[in-house]
Amino acid sequence: MATPLLSVTDLQVGFATERGLLRAVDGVSFDLAEGQTLGIVGESGSGKSVTAKTLMNLLPSYARVEGSVMFDGRDVRAMAAERERHFWGVEMTMVFQDPMTSLNPVKKVGEQIAESLRVHLKRSRREARDDAGDLLQQVGIPEPKKRLTQYPHELSGGLRQRVVIAMALACSPRLLIADEPTTALDVTVQKHILDLLDELREERGMAMILITHDLGVVKGRADQIMVMYAGRTMEQADTATLFSEMRHPYTEALLETIPRVDMASHSRLVPIPGSPPDAVDLGQGCPFAERCRYCSASCLIDQPSLEQHRQGHACACHAPVGTDAGAAAHAANHETGVTPAGLDMGTFATAVGEKT
Amino acid sequence: MAGSGAIQMRDSDEVVLRVESLVMEFPAGRNQVVHAVSDVSFDVCRGETLGIVGESGCGKSTTARALVQLPRPTSGTVTLDPGADGQVELTGIEGEALRSVRPRVQMIFQDPISSLNPRRRVRDIIGEGLIIWQDQHPDVDVDARVDEVLRAVGLDPVVAASRRPHEFSGGQCQRISIARALAIDPEILICDEPVSALDVSVQAQILNILEEMKERFGLTLVFISHDLSVVRNVSDRVVVMYLGKVCEIGNSDSLFSEPAHPYTRVLLASAPEPSTVVDASEVAIGDEVPSPINPPSGCRFRTRCPRVTELCASAEPVMRKMGPDHFVACHFPGSP
Amino acid sequence: MDTPPQVDPAEQFGVVVARRLGFGFWIAAAWIIIIVTAAALAPWLPIADPNETGVGGRMDGPGWSNWFGTDSNGRDMFARTIWGARVSLIVGFFSVLLGICVGGTLGMIAGYFRGIVDRIISFSVFVLLAYPGLVLALLIVGLAGQTLPIVAMTLGIVAIAPIARLSRATTLAYSEREFVAAARVLGATDRRIMVRELLPNVLIPMGALTLLGMAITIVAEGGLAFLGLSVEEGFSWGKMIVLGSSPRTLREGPWVAMFPIGAMFVTVLALNFAGDRLREYFDVRELGIGAA
Repeated sequence: MATPLLSVTDLQVGFATERGLLRAVDGVSFDLAEGQTLGIVGESGSGKSVTAKTLMNLLPSYARVEGSVMFDGRDVRAMAAERERHFWGVEMTMVFQDPMTSLNPVKKVGEQIAESLRVHLKRSRREARDDAGDLLQQVGIPEPKKRLTQYPHELSGGLRQRVVIAMALACSPRLLIADEPTTALDVTVQKHILDLLDELREERGMAMILITHDLGVVKGRADQIMVMYAGRTMEQADTATLFSEMRHPYTEALLETIPRVDMASHSRLVPIPGSPPDAVDLGQGCPFAERCRYCSASCLIDQPSLEQHRQGHACACHAPVGTDAGAAAHAANHETGVTPAGLDMGTFATAVGEKT
Repeated sequence: MAGSGAIQMRDSDEVVLRVESLVMEFPAGRNQVVHAVSDVSFDVCRGETLGIVGESGCGKSTTARALVQLPRPTSGTVTLDPGADGQVELTGIEGEALRSVRPRVQMIFQDPISSLNPRRRVRDIIGEGLIIWQDQHPDVDVDARVDEVLRAVGLDPVVAASRRPHEFSGGQCQRISIARALAIDPEILICDEPVSALDVSVQAQILNILEEMKERFGLTLVFISHDLSVVRNVSDRVVVMYLGKVCEIGNSDSLFSEPAHPYTRVLLASAPEPSTVVDASEVAIGDEVPSPINPPSGCRFRTRCPRVTELCASAEPVMRKMGPDHFVACHFPGSP
Repeated sequence: MDTPPQVDPAEQFGVVVARRLGFGFWIAAAWIIIIVTAAALAPWLPIADPNETGVGGRMDGPGWSNWFGTDSNGRDMFARTIWGARVSLIVGFFSVLLGICVGGTLGMIAGYFRGIVDRIISFSVFVLLAYPGLVLALLIVGLAGQTLPIVAMTLGIVAIAPIARLSRATTLAYSEREFVAAARVLGATDRRIMVRELLPNVLIPMGALTLLGMAITIVAEGGLAFLGLSVEEGFSWGKMIVLGSSPRTLREGPWVAMFPIGAMFVTVLALNFAGDRLREYFDVRELGIGAA
């Protein structure tokens, strides 16, 4: 296999707080090849956004970062020290959840796009303006000439996000990181934006990291998926494998807990009991153990490491779903009615009268 | 998109809440008016869950607030127990009279943190309604009732009651909000996007609690959400709204298996995991929802509708019947 | 991509970071407590009578017998500084109290009811703000007399407008919160909502403002003293400074002005610092709860 475009190895990000070290990202590794899409799925606090911001060198200076990030054979973290200006925004760029974080509210849209073209690509004023119009056209903005002279607040949320994407694409990046790019948008617009990102990625052979809390968003779009929880990678696989041979109880729980439009009314959702753990005080063992129905005694004391079950499918669990160990752990918990973490197995059973 | 017509209204003794020709307008400066909700009519039967779904700006939350007269609608009526002897028209009363019927309709809000007073303890927050009405019900044991509802929503009164909201997670705060609403034993519970601010792993807990509470306390629910799959999961009957108007209303199964309005179909096709009953090509045109200050003539969805014709601009579609309990406001309903 | 957002780790992870007031706050608080206690207990403290002349020599420098020296009448400056604190602090405290009671209430009423009530109150506040505070104070004290209650009330009236503005803004912000809507849905009366739901939230910034406001009024009272409009009977730090700042006194006994100046300076500094820390402490706390 050729050298991947982006290679992240054992990334650790911590923040010192008064209560102790907050491990935002703990041992994340992945490779991303040119033209591929990696989906990072996790809830708030899972470390998915911090991972992206580490790649983009956007963390505050007090963050403690360890591990290596190689982009096309270059060490990105060493570059940060040299104040490499023409890397971020040119070769690697990012689209945020809220388009207004990337847009200057008092500058016209056209000026903002032209500015990055002039700074990074040394275009003349005139060229930059023409190119800006072309870019808006490419991201599917109707009447691009008119939009160039408008201010961000005059645009709808969907159009703003398109402008941000146009800005991100201005310098033809090789990697685009999209952090919840559609969470703030309506579903009808969300689909348009995700489709647009997909098209542009294909056209330009760009690699993409798509960060989301919704497994459904990455299902049809990512080549690989990484599921994160409490700063750690829980499961990592190519998309088809992940959905057909899901191994981690957290991934399974996420899928079962989210309602889908094709489910009958009043179908009972299997809840994930409890709440996500405190990132400062994770203790030993698996961070999901407290909420897991496959929990065994060893899960509470021994943190499972991320192991490859087979080529391209890794999972950090002592008793993975679909294995003998998993079945045994589940049966044992079912028997006693309570998991070793003290969770009542009845929580998962049908407590509400099903109507269908 | 319609609104005109009230054919969807049911004539049943079981109707506990009837909303007729609800209009909500807000001044927007320079003599302009925001048409947030325009001529919306629906009813809710006892023990039913009515889901209201739509995207931002469709007027669903404004409608929810209008049900509890916050603020009072510009025109239209909201009636409790219509046709019964004790019929109360909320839009026709004010002051003390309105205040005294308030406990019958309670509400939970989207933001679990903003809906709890940060300076008060959980016991006081939940007991507030009981204390307000203690003069009328002097034999109610406030502390016992607070403990009871706390336990009902899955919180331990010993641990939770003396704490303040910031010591709880978002999901727990939402449980506290539910407990507060339930403490005074309402008939109708209006849930305005109750799970959209929560982590995905916690959503199901809250949805399940709402279902449980509905059974246990004999509630009628009005459930507002932008998320079709959530609405599908909890509702018996669904109202689809767009730009202040009702597009489609009907029994949940019928509406989701045979969506008739192009907008409903667009919503189903745009979901992260699209429904199989619609074609993937059925998407909205463009990203821009027209301004509610100057909504399109005729059908309000026509500017983004994949099936638009000239008729749609000139005539506003009237509600028509698609099935036993399935109504749509479109000139060209059904699958394309 | 000019301004990437900064990550606040604590916020992102929902970790409620323990907040501290800090060492400086406690030093400031200790000073305030010392000065308030000394002022309150002045009649019982083993110090000289501040009005007794000839306790020491005339214009004695600071020393063992008179720690802060004596003034031109031979009065003990240490005792006078403590007694001067009484007037300064009483004026500071009661004027702010008046400002908060009147201004705070008006602001809450305006912020909660809005509409025409808000417009009337806000307009009055603007008028009051537009009128120079010092001129207003001159007018009232000049007309009503230079007694302690009048001076305190005057400065309190000047404080009403800014306090009303803060109270209105805070009330407006909290009125938008859903817990206020929830209370109305429960059937709470307007009065109950204002007292139970809004007041505890509005009081927090007000509390911090009390300290900042006291600092301002103590200085303002000093300003009045320079115009000869401080209290006629008794004396405040401001009046002491005025008495000590004739060219001759400054030349022969600079300590006569320096000690009240120093006391006022340190007290005002401490009040400002403590008030600011308190405000920050509660603001951050508010963020931790997750302001929308």
